[in-house]
Amino acid sequence: MDCQAEVNCGLHLVIQTSSLPEKNKVEFKLNKDTSSFPGRLLQHDLERNYSSRQGDHINLVSSSLSSFPILQRSSEEKILYSDRLSLERQKLTVCPIINGEDHLRLLNFQHNFITRIQNISNLQKLISLDLYDNQIEEISGLSTLRCLRVLLLGKNRIKKISNLENLKSLDVLDLHGNQITKIENINHLCELRVLNLARNFLSHVDNLNGLDSLTELNLRHNQITFVRDVDNLPCLQHLFLSFNNISSFDSVSCLADSSSLSDITFDGNPIAQESWYKHTVLQNMMQLRQLDMKRITEEERRMASVLAKKEEEKKRESHKQSLLKEKKRLTINNVARQWDLQQQRVANIATNEDRKDSDSPQDPCQIDGSTLSAFPEETGPLDSGLNNALQGLSVIDTYLVEVDGDTLSLYGSGALESLDRNWSVQTAGMITTVSFTFIEFDEIVQVLPKLKIKFPNSLHLKFKETNLVMLQQFNALAQLRRIDQLTIDPQGNPVVNFTLWKYYVLFRLSHFSMQKINGTEVTQNDMIMAERLFGILAHVASSELPQYRLISILGDARKKQFQYLLESKGKKPGIINEENNDSKRLVGENTNRATLNYTTRDFYNEKLEEIKEKKKFCKTYIEDLVKEATEINMKNEALQKLWPQMFIELVRDAVIEIRNKNSYMKLCLQQITDQK
Amino acid sequence: MLSPERLALPDYEYLAQRHVLTYMEDAVCQLLENREDISQYGIARFFTEYFNSVCQGTHILFREFSFVQATPHNRVSFLRAFWRCFRTVGNGDLLTMKEYHCLLQLLCPDFPLELTQKAARIVLMDDAMDCLMSFSDFLFAFQIQFYYSEFLDSVAAIYEDLLSGKNPNTVIVPTSSSGQHRQRPALGEAGMLEGVEASLFYQCLENLCDRHKYSCPPPALVKEALSNVQRLTFYGFLMALSKHHGINQALGALPDKGDLMHDPAMDEELERLVVRSKLHRTSRQHRAKEPGAFGFQRREKQEALERVSSASVPMPYHYRWEPRE
Repeated sequence: MDCQAEVNCGLHLVIQTSSLPEKNKVEFKLNKDTSSFPGRLLQHDLERNYSSRQGDHINLVSSSLSSFPILQRSSEEKILYSDRLSLERQKLTVCPIINGEDHLRLLNFQHNFITRIQNISNLQKLISLDLYDNQIEEISGLSTLRCLRVLLLGKNRIKKISNLENLKSLDVLDLHGNQITKIENINHLCELRVLNLARNFLSHVDNLNGLDSLTELNLRHNQITFVRDVDNLPCLQHLFLSFNNISSFDSVSCLADSSSLSDITFDGNPIAQESWYKHTVLQNMMQLRQLDMKRITEEERRMASVLAKKEEEKKRESHKQSLLKEKKRLTINNVARQWDLQQQRVANIATNEDRKDSDSPQDPCQIDGSTLSAFPEETGPLDSGLNNALQGLSVIDTYLVEVDGDTLSLYGSGALESLDRNWSVQTAGMITTVSFTFIEFDEIVQVLPKLKIKFPNSLHLKFKETNLVMLQQFNALAQLRRIDQLTIDPQGNPVVNFTLWKYYVLFRLSHFSMQKINGTEVTQNDMIMAERLFGILAHVASSELPQYRLISILGDARKKQFQYLLESKGKKPGIINEENNDSKRLVGENTNRATLNYTTRDFYNEKLEEIKEKKKFCKTYIEDLVKEATEINMKNEALQKLWPQMFIELVRDAVIEIRNKNSYMKLCLQQITDQK
Repeated sequence: MLSPERLALPDYEYLAQRHVLTYMEDAVCQLLENREDISQYGIARFFTEYFNSVCQGTHILFREFSFVQATPHNRVSFLRAFWRCFRTVGNGDLLTMKEYHCLLQLLCPDFPLELTQKAARIVLMDDAMDCLMSFSDFLFAFQIQFYYSEFLDSVAAIYEDLLSGKNPNTVIVPTSSSGQHRQRPALGEAGMLEGVEASLFYQCLENLCDRHKYSCPPPALVKEALSNVQRLTFYGFLMALSKHHGINQALGALPDKGDLMHDPAMDEELERLVVRSKLHRTSRQHRAKEPGAFGFQRREKQEALERVSSASVPMPYHYRWEPRE
């Protein structure tokens, strides 16, 4: 009786129908993990109402001559099913010897216990050999089967792909469910269309070149971490990588280059859990039509490209950020290095001056001011277009200016120039903290007026590595509008080693009513202490100085500020007036402290130089005066000595003259007429 | 006033001795410096103020070092100003040499560090220079060093000579009438014992004083200072000088050691200032925090601050830290 055979794509059916009436059923054995193939050959065959007997017509006669059973079929069968033979579930442990069937084309050994492929070398016309579900440990014994096209070795114990050299016509190779660790020895199978390596121990995929006809590759349920060589498969359409160990798209990047791929599965991999999975795959593999067994819609594709673009943006942005950070770090290191060099040079010069002999003066030009000499081009704009989250960054090799929300950080003395830039009102208004690092305090003093104008809300100043050595230098901070907090980092600021520095700061800057110094709150007691310590100094400085000194010192201070302002680029007369008012107001607030000023060392020395000229002049002038005075004094003394004598002589002369009245009268008249 | 000695001196010498010219020159220089400001209120007034301030000793405030050390009177004024301004600072802590130098610089911006170092060496006997010193120790040592700096340089030279065995007495012909000229042979043993012999040393000093044109301490007082010791080292000698009350009084700049912290006029002024500052402060006042909230230790403990609640009572200073002997 005929039974229908059905074949479904996606299922590999081994259909065995029994012609015996009592077994009037169709048994379907589904091998789940075997590939689907529109196997032309099989289909063709199956359509021919393949039927085979199960057992009864097959006699396995054990021969006494060898250990292998010998197969015999009835001649009826041989004629009916001359090209196919099914020996499944025969409890075979070895392949039997098959005599007289040399034109067999389909041979089925499914579900047995065969450990070695043997005794089939004579079946040289074999096209399909099915050894599914046996115990075969090694592929062997196939070298004569040159016509073989379908080789099913699923669910065995094969550890290595080998001995397939002569099977050049192989079309389907099924090795699922084995123990294979490496893809090898298949590069000659140029007609292979379906390769099933599911459920093996593969850890990576490569060595696939030469499989020019491969359209389907099943690699499910392995331990694959990366995939290579797939772009060398010109016909590959279906690739199943479910349930492996792929975690990034980079490890399967060759897939993007494969133009033939249209169907791929990644489910069960770590990569499928990522948030960027779908759109990354879609974005990189535009040729895909199906992903994880689901068709890809246009909508999805669109979404994917949008998302991918966003990812790209984000990556680029963070890359840029990290680049900037790196650059910043390098610049700061550079600035620090130059600062150290400069400090050492200064120290050397100081010690040289101490040891200076009068006959060997040192060259004073040893400091070459390298921190100030470079003016390379700026990179990066700096304006109010940046939103708060981003950093405004202007990076140059010798200095660094950075704006971060409410903090302006300056590294290196070249950074001070940046205060001249046109800062937008918004950015400048937000700055409440200004931090100086690796800049000489004397240089900072000169830009304090600019700071006051451009950043009116700066309330917190931080100094680190700025060479604060004298208490006096704090006097310079008095000219600012207001300071709420002051942070002097001990590093590079020796003044912090003095126990009294904070009290001095509080004393001198008492009109600011500072709240915090170096992070610690300022208490009433601290203020009182400061006042106690230095109050007398203030008193002396204000009340005991003669008036002209007061005026000159205060005038000096104002003049200096003007000078600093005028040296800046963006000078506007209006600002100077404001300056005037400001300083007047300040002076009014605490006159007794205002005389405590700080002149930067250079400025001071300049002034002393200037005075030298005047001093010389004064000296000569006074000397002249003294000479005159002493001359006059001498003359006076001489006169004093001589006067009595002179007086007597005068009187005597006069008396002698008048003694003879008549002759005297005549003499006088004579004199009068002479005069006419 | 018109004593014969005075009239015996020729004019220049007299003027030089009294340093009149220095002040004149400086006055004119200051005038030139601040021409615009001073011309506003008259030159005569300027000169009045200038010489008044010279008399009062306030002319050296915030002036450059070359002026401060120009005349003995300037030096004395400077010492006195330093004492008055920073007496309160010295009241509590011991400070290092650098800190004292800082304070000096507040009054004189370009005061050289070497002088302060030399003064510190006297106090510390040339030992660890980072040690802390009390205000009075430092001040008296500084006084000696600053006022007699040239004299001390010569003394140092003499001391070195004596140490190495050379006797300066043999080099020059002494004209001094006092003392015997005991020509000692080379003092080979001097190196074994510390320092030099006191009497010999004193003779050399006497000679020095006679021919020195810079100011020297009165020889009689120096003799007194040396009378108790057989041998002395250089710094020992200086230390003795600095602690000698007579010399201090002869200088006239600083009060006696016991009275060093005592200046009632200034204290009153200070209290007034403190009160004013308290009123000046805004509403953040009423925190009951510990003094020294800045976290660093005041080296000599001083709890007096906590007793200051109402500042109108001047603090009795004998409650506080006692000067170290």
